[in-house]
Amino acid sequence: MMKKVIATLMTAAVAMSLVACGSDPAPQEPTPAQEEAPAAEDAAPAEDAAGDAAASAAAGGDMNGDGKIVVGYISKNTVDVFHATINGAAEEKLNALKDEGVIDDWTGILDGNTDAAKQCDLAQDCINYNCDYVIILPAESTASDPAVTALSDAGIGVIVVNSKTDSTDFLALTYCGSDDVFAGELMGQYVQEQVPDGGVFVHCQGIIGNSAQQQRGEGIANTIGADSNWTLAADVPCDWDPSKAVNAVDDYLAQYGDDLKAVICDNDDMSSAAQTECNAKGREDIVCIGVDGNQGPLQMVKDGTLGATVLQDGAGQVLAGIDAVVKSVNGETVEKEYTIPFVLVTSDNVDEYLN
Amino acid sequence: MSNTKNNSKNNDTLRMFMGKYGIGVILVFMLVIISIMKPRFIYPSNVLNILTQISVNCLIAYGMCLAITTGGIDLSVGSQLALVSCLLGQFIVNMNMNIFLACVLAALAATLMGFINGFLIAKFDMFPFVVTLATQLVIRSLAQIISDGKGLSMAMPGFKAIYSGTLFGIPLPIIYMIVISIIMYIVLHWTRFGRYVFAVGGNVHAAIASGVSVFWTKTMCYTISGLLAGLAGIIFSSKTGSAQSNIGVGYETDAVAACVLGGTSFAGGIATAPGVLLGAIIIGCIYNGMNFLNIGSYYQYMTKGIIIIFAVLLDMVINKKGN
Repeated sequence: MMKKVIATLMTAAVAMSLVACGSDPAPQEPTPAQEEAPAAEDAAPAEDAAGDAAASAAAGGDMNGDGKIVVGYISKNTVDVFHATINGAAEEKLNALKDEGVIDDWTGILDGNTDAAKQCDLAQDCINYNCDYVIILPAESTASDPAVTALSDAGIGVIVVNSKTDSTDFLALTYCGSDDVFAGELMGQYVQEQVPDGGVFVHCQGIIGNSAQQQRGEGIANTIGADSNWTLAADVPCDWDPSKAVNAVDDYLAQYGDDLKAVICDNDDMSSAAQTECNAKGREDIVCIGVDGNQGPLQMVKDGTLGATVLQDGAGQVLAGIDAVVKSVNGETVEKEYTIPFVLVTSDNVDEYLN
Repeated sequence: MSNTKNNSKNNDTLRMFMGKYGIGVILVFMLVIISIMKPRFIYPSNVLNILTQISVNCLIAYGMCLAITTGGIDLSVGSQLALVSCLLGQFIVNMNMNIFLACVLAALAATLMGFINGFLIAKFDMFPFVVTLATQLVIRSLAQIISDGKGLSMAMPGFKAIYSGTLFGIPLPIIYMIVISIIMYIVLHWTRFGRYVFAVGGNVHAAIASGVSVFWTKTMCYTISGLLAGLAGIIFSSKTGSAQSNIGVGYETDAVAACVLGGTSFAGGIATAPGVLLGAIIIGCIYNGMNFLNIGSYYQYMTKGIIIIFAVLLDMVINKKGN
């Protein structure tokens, strides 16, 4: 008897844990009446459902004709500082749009886990969730592409943010991102200006094969890499990992000593760690620079321990993507591509970007 | 008096029913609750979607189940996915090999890695956790060497069809999963090899005394685990249409979770093939259901962890023998 009771209690506990967590971050469950609508729509032709009470919302953006405008959001991940900022900005904006009634619902931040296969699964989830628009931040340029094609095939407006997948140019409603080659050039030029005499520099790379890593490297090669005053010690694969960048600094300081003049990193988590290491070794003269504009490096710029960093306006990218959704809903034209500029942040303008 | 007898008889029937189908009851319970909250969850299109999504994890979990049942574990499966993916990229893109032949060779490579796992574990009696942790690193490194760290696009329709094709309207990954499930059921529950697996995991001394070759049984288990991870790797690569060395990180976790949910005992000697399948389906429903229920991503791992703990506790309470 006891066992039966315990078993029942535990079954209930399993159920409750699902229900409890379910109601937590997303308080607004659709009313029963709204819930009926999509069910009815499958039986009747789609146009009938769109023609009823919900027609006001159906004006421009109701891609699947179920009377509701639902936006999906597939993040790259929810743990990187840079992506946490993007997700936070998107969450705030989408919740506001829902409150204003511009959109009826959104999926919440779906966690792509930096895993392209997971993003493909999430794309299928969004299709089954009856999304009209999906904002996606691809984990990989090739491997995440099936997510974009599947969404596009399902008639969903795809908004690709931050980096492109292979078929983004053909299939996506719009792309909102920044030109990473330009970011690489900004870094190269900054180092050239700071150390006019030249010397040896090290390039700490992101994860090999990532489009941001490749394009930033291209920008670096275009500028400082083509300058005869400068010698590239090595392109070091550091996987975006600050601790590996510190190791690289130590290795090449040991090898080149005073000739080492600059460390250029594909992100500024690495460049700030590299600069900290140089400063600790009494080499404040080494110029370290990276891309992203995370709060930690910005604070270092403010404190004067880091010369400069290149800010990638991630929040600006995703907000441009959400603006594109709103434009599409209102029936306005959406450009194929929105470019959000990179900004060189130094002690002169750091206050504008530091929270 | 007779009342008590009746009661205990009822209890026995319930216990037997729950012991066999307890995990299924949990699944049905979950399905009902999520469906009430989001009816769209149970639409056929979404059910097919979930089953397609779990195919990779399910295949890995069957191999993991064999390893766990013999008292071990196979942590190398995630890296196996990467190795197969990179081999396929080299074979198909760079060497223009026939797709079927490339798949066979890639799966064989994974099988060989599995055999090496099993050989090291069985021959030298090394801890499976340590051996597979080490081979996990070796295999991932092989994948990086083969691919030179670069991703290759394999978007050709013939290869993509492995994942996205359908048979009678059913996505192919589901068909593979059904076929493998039937084979695994037969292997585990109807063959002498299956009985040996349970014997080795349950009581190794008794197994040796009754003439079971522990070496071959264990080696075969890890070899099969390698083969299944290889097949999963083919499906995975077709799904993303790319060959990459950085895929499959952490995939062993979901496989272990599916086994545990399915009643596979870490003490060894206890497992069922249908249990593993149900475990994989539950994991798939948790992932998909949490997205349908709008559970924030920060809460999802916690929810998954809590569900696994409660489901396993429930299973233990139901299955506890005697008083």
